[in-house]
Amino acid sequence: MKPLQPSCSTTLSESPDADKTRGRRDFLKGALQLAALCGTAALTGCEPGGRFGLQWQEFFKKNYRLMTPLEKEATVQRLEQLAKLRRGIDIHISAAEPVKEVLFGYAFNLTRCEGFMECVQACVRENNLDRKSKTQYIRIFELEPGQMSPESGNGQYFHEVPVNGHFYMGIQCFHCQNAPCVKACPTKATWMEPDGIVVVDYDWCIGCRYCMAACPYWGRRFNWNEPYVPKEEITLKQHYLGNRLRSRGMMEKCTFCIQRSRDGQLPACAAACPTGARVFGNLLDPDSEIRFVLKHKKVFRLKEDLGTEPKFWFFVD
Amino acid sequence: MKNNSSYLRLGFIVAVAWMALIGLAIDGFCGHEEGVKALFQQAMGPWHDPLAATIAGALPADITQVHETYNGRPFWTQTRKDKVTRFKCSQCHDGRTVTAENAAAVAHGDIVLDHGGAKPLSCFTCHKDNPRDQFETEKGVTIDMDHVYELCGQCHFRQKSDWIGGAHGKRLDHWAGQRVVANCTSCHNPHSPVFKKRWPATYSLPLDEP
Repeated sequence: MKPLQPSCSTTLSESPDADKTRGRRDFLKGALQLAALCGTAALTGCEPGGRFGLQWQEFFKKNYRLMTPLEKEATVQRLEQLAKLRRGIDIHISAAEPVKEVLFGYAFNLTRCEGFMECVQACVRENNLDRKSKTQYIRIFELEPGQMSPESGNGQYFHEVPVNGHFYMGIQCFHCQNAPCVKACPTKATWMEPDGIVVVDYDWCIGCRYCMAACPYWGRRFNWNEPYVPKEEITLKQHYLGNRLRSRGMMEKCTFCIQRSRDGQLPACAAACPTGARVFGNLLDPDSEIRFVLKHKKVFRLKEDLGTEPKFWFFVD
Repeated sequence: MKNNSSYLRLGFIVAVAWMALIGLAIDGFCGHEEGVKALFQQAMGPWHDPLAATIAGALPADITQVHETYNGRPFWTQTRKDKVTRFKCSQCHDGRTVTAENAAAVAHGDIVLDHGGAKPLSCFTCHKDNPRDQFETEKGVTIDMDHVYELCGQCHFRQKSDWIGGAHGKRLDHWAGQRVVANCTSCHNPHSPVFKKRWPATYSLPLDEP
């Protein structure tokens, strides 16, 4: 659940002088909402641990970055209980903090990618992406030598791969260090974590899609409809900022599989790649594979001139 | 004439001095890197991995330490002998003549040798009579089958050096903790190492359609 209007959040802000600045109109609005909700509660039966009570508390929670560790734990527990009540599944949502001295980086080997798209499939399954609209975080483009941008490539190929005389280029969120999407967000629902992952607080997103327009890399996806994931295919290991189940009107994107990478695992795409074209690791570790690639290979980034500083490099053997 | 050449010389000296000045200015103002590159280039010290202890418990059993290191760091690779279904070779190839009918077709008929392109390899490029259960390099060094990268690396030395650093090949499961990578023959069929054409696992819809 998320606030219906941004004004709700300002009414309930934590500043000490909030009471003084609260106007008559705001007070009436709040009182009306309260009355309406209490009425509904009386009709549906509102026990403290029940579904309505949980939804009520979820409705008024803070932005993830303002939560204390205890509040994070509480919201995670509520979401787990709600998933049990709504869908009858036992999920585990983590609120794991970033690992110290880690800055994630990614490299993509253009010589090795053969366009098998196993990464795309693994990503869809791992991140509980909407099956109905066929949402995908990763796009693979088929390009001819000389083409350097996916804009001129074929992103909807469906034939036996690899085709002679073509190469394949994977595009996803590049987790820019100087991310334009973060600057565009009017509700501060998206930000860069200390380990370099650009994340979205789904419950704070109002669905304005400014970030989608600001991203020069086609990295963000919008839920036009309630996402549908078959119950038996839901990935149960989830993260608050990662693959937990979204609902309609929320923006989402690749999170380098935050639920996996913060545990030391590779993102699902890198783990699934059958040709080893995907390299993932810690940029601050001089012995890591990603640092080897950056040191010894010819690398480039897309639209480097924009100054967005993506942490995603392409390289050739 | 004399005047002309001295002007030329003066002009040349001025031009060189100007270029040197510009060079110095570029070094001075733009020599340092900015952004992400500066961030990671400053990080030169060894990283103390806080996840290593938890990951160590989840490592697969079928790994062996590679005889190479990168930056002095050891790494591990998948064993291969336990995946070769008819290992040991010397069970059949024990020096006596095999008398069973169609023995070669029955035992090794599934092998299609397509390695080397215009100069195809033969079985005996890699497999030797003696030793049977190991490989041998061209220099005559015996190689355990689990360390097959030493055999492949004789020709594919560029891929091998990339593999040691991490630009070729594939790390397994974890980016942190002990580094475990796939062996050459974990991914490549040694008898026909090029990946075969096949259908992609899925397909994409146009991006701009809701």
